[in-house]
Amino acid sequence: MRALATAAAIPSCVQFHDYSQEPVHGLGLRRRRRCYPCARVPSSSRTTRFQVFLSQRPPDHNVRGRDTDEMFDDLLKKYGKVVYGSGDRQPPSAESDDDAVSLSFAVTLAKVADEVKAADIRVLFVKPLVYWTRFFIIVTAFSRPQIDAIGSRIRDIAEKQFNKVASGDTKPNSWTLLDFGDVVVHIFLPQQRAFYNLEEFYGNATPIELPFDNQSQFRS
Amino acid sequence: MIQPQTLLNVADNSGARELMCIRIIGAGNHRYAHIGDVIVAVIKEAVPNMPLERSEVIRAVIVRTCKELKRDNGMIIRYDDNAAVVIDQEGNPKGTRVFGAIARELRQLNFTKIVSLAPEVL
Repeated sequence: MRALATAAAIPSCVQFHDYSQEPVHGLGLRRRRRCYPCARVPSSSRTTRFQVFLSQRPPDHNVRGRDTDEMFDDLLKKYGKVVYGSGDRQPPSAESDDDAVSLSFAVTLAKVADEVKAADIRVLFVKPLVYWTRFFIIVTAFSRPQIDAIGSRIRDIAEKQFNKVASGDTKPNSWTLLDFGDVVVHIFLPQQRAFYNLEEFYGNATPIELPFDNQSQFRS
Repeated sequence: MIQPQTLLNVADNSGARELMCIRIIGAGNHRYAHIGDVIVAVIKEAVPNMPLERSEVIRAVIVRTCKELKRDNGMIIRYDDNAAVVIDQEGNPKGTRVFGAIARELRQLNFTKIVSLAPEVL
């Protein structure tokens, strides 16, 4: 983005980059040094080994070079030429499980909204578009008391059945937003819904089929 | 570091182009406002034929600052400009779309509406 500068620093990686930028005399060394960049070596002992190695390097690096070559060879053999993830990533199955949980949560909330006569209920799967949430529920209500009713009902069910507390608006507003983390509920008055037109903005999101009959045509 | 008299760009399609901060809300005796703070501002420049006009006093949320924003994980975010999004008294944005990248801290500060209108969240 134009107006943006991001800087992130991981100490161990910085060490390595600094090192690789130094002039290297032995040609054979250069290749190996570059090909072992930011592989996250998990154990702390390894990091200390590298630090020792860095401090020992300067004058007689021909002799030391062989040691390091062997060391890098060992490491390469052990870990291969790949960059390691941080290890906290979940397997895809766990992720889809999370999706399924959020989906059932979202559908339940949509059902609750339907019980309180909210119109034109849309559930959008926005996870591929934005990273910060998974599902949007967009709902129209026709008056502020109705917004209040829908909001408090959704809050109750979420707290009782799913043990989740919403952040966002507490008072009924012309655009009331309930943020449950994975699921974000937008309750609009018809005017505001047309004004902000969130469905168009998230037009690429996958709409989720709802199990109940959404009779928006008869109401609006 | 936004203080009274600071000029800010407008990062939405509300019709204002440039704002001048005249007061920081909820900051007490603090001198500067940062990302996620609400300010009172005057519209110094506006797009013609739009509902907002020059010299109108409005509220706005700061969404980008030249001053770095630090995160706990060591990440630092710094933008090229100071920018704000115009909101009304209830906290709803006056424009329908937000331009440019926006920090995720706004969501924690209960400005999820602005985040959900933004094209990119950092």
